Order: sequence, then structure tokens, then C-alpha cells
Amino acid sequence: MSGANTTRLANLHDVELAALAAAGDRAAFGELVRRHGSAVRGLLRRMGSAPAEADDVAQDAFLMAFERIREFRGEGAFAAWVKKIAARLYLRRLQRERRLAGLAQEAEDGSVDAHQPDAAGRIDLDEGLKSLGAAERLCVSMCYGAGLSHAETAEALNLPLGTVKSHVKRGLEKLRTRLAPAGAALEGRQGNG
Amino acid sequence: MAELEFERRLERLFGDAPAFSDEKAFAMAVERKLARGWTLRRMLIGAAGLVGGVVGASQLILSNFMGQVEAASEGSSRILRAGVAEWAPRVELLSALPAGTSVVWIASGLAVLAMGFVLTRVIEEF
Repeated sequence: MSGANTTRLANLHDVELAALAAAGDRAAFGELVRRHGSAVRGLLRRMGSAPAEADDVAQDAFLMAFERIREFRGEGAFAAWVKKIAARLYLRRLQRERRLAGLAQEAEDGSVDAHQPDAAGRIDLDEGLKSLGAAERLCVSMCYGAGLSHAETAEALNLPLGTVKSHVKRGLEKLRTRLAPAGAALEGRQGNG
Repeated sequence: MAELEFERRLERLFGDAPAFSDEKAFAMAVERKLARGWTLRRMLIGAAGLVGGVVGASQLILSNFMGQVEAASEGSSRILRAGVAEWAPRVELLSALPAGTSVVWIASGLAVLAMGFVLTRVIEEF
């Protein structure tokens, strides 16, 4: 891709890039991947996926997004649209490998205490999520990270709506007590590849 | 109220994408897969078009289309010759055209090409 084309694409809005991609412009879609790849990979890791698996699923999600790019009409953010695709793909993979049932049924005491608190005993989001049970983590990430409703999450996880709401409620309670207060330095801390 | 604020805050935290040191490598890997998939798709489309053309040609031949076209062609050629002879008896225009069967084969070949092209376009669109 030429430098001039790269600059031109970098100046376009996501919706314009999506329109170009819908017309078959792979370079335009590449720009979208560069912009939002980290957000999708980050979400999958926050859902509990191992880094290599998260990258694998994220790649598949972008390939699927390219195939379905005509369905994206720019009503919401492009990143949110791809995140939903990625979250559903990850769940499908868990189902296929029969890992989902175990995670979804996991008891509340299945939570791990892997967080590393700061001096005040408060932690950031990534560490906070690690302290939740797998089901709580999945439900909270899908609702607040992928933007799915409780009902959509219940359907995707094949769980009763009430169970999902309980997981979310418990997860939020744990996070509220453990997360660093708003505006604290930890909030802006970023992970690395 | 505090609960709602916490939920908004959580959404913002989730919205903050972590930085990865291999962001470019990830994007390139996706673009490579896209390119590979695109090439494969074009090959499949081309193959489907070719198969469609061959199937179309074989159907034409098996349905004795050639014989019928040839007969129709000869009939219309006779009528045309008579018409031309009536209006311009000295002009031998039709003698310049290739005769009988070869015209039919050329027309069929062009029809198969057109069919393959149309099939390819249709598959590409959907």
C-alpha cells in the first residue's frame, strides 16, 4: 500500500472505511483492523481467553466482519460491532470444545484471587476481572465490554436470564469493592502484548 | 444512582483498549489472511464459471440445439438470400459470410463465454 493511500485512509472515518471495504477495498479494511484490533483482542482476554487464543478469535472475528461488512450501516460504532462478533465467536469456540458448560455452571466460590492490589488494596479492571469466577467474568465482560443485553448474553451462553443477572450482579459487587476509585492512576494503566 | 454511575464507569473502563506491542503484526496477519481468502475465492468463482460454461455447452449439444440452429440458420439464410437477390441482384454480400456449421459453433462458443461471465458476476455479487 502506498504512503499516500495510507495517509488518505488514516484520515477517513470508520463509516467511510467500512463503505470502501464493502466495495472490496481490503486496504480500507486493514485500516479498520489497525484502529480497532487492540480493542477486540483486549475484550477477548478480559472475557478469560488465553492471549494466543484471543488473537486467533480476534482474527477470525475481523475476517467474518469483512465478509459481513455490508451489514454494518454505521448506526453504532464499528468497534462495538466487531466486539459483538468476536464475543459470540469466542463463546461458539467454548461450546464446540465443550468448555462453556463447565464455565457457565461454575460455582461462585470458583473465583480466583489472582489480583495484585496496589498499596491501598485496590486494583485495575484487568486484575479485578481475574478475581471473578469464570461465569461472572464472562457475563460482566459480555454485558459491559461487548455491549450485549442480559437477554442476549443469556441466549449466547444458553443460560436462564435470571442466572445471568445473578452472575452480573455478583460480579459488579466484587468489582465495586475491589476496583481502584474513579480517577485513580490505576484506571489508565494499560496492558501489553 | 451510584450503581448506575459505576456501570457507566465500567463501560468506560472496558472501552479503554489496552495497548499491544504487536498491533501492526496483528493487523498484517489479518490482511494476509484476507488476501489469501480473496485469491481462493476468485479461483473458486473462476472454476464455478468454467464449470457453468461447460455444463451449459454440453446441455446445448445434448439437446440437439446445434441441428435445430443449423436448420433454422439455413432456412433464414435462404430467405435472406432471396430478399437480397430481389433488391440487389448484383451484390453477393452473403457469400462473404462463413458457411453453415462454423457460424453455429462460433455463436455457441460466444454464448458459453457469455454464460460463464454472467455466472461469475452472479457468484461474485452474492
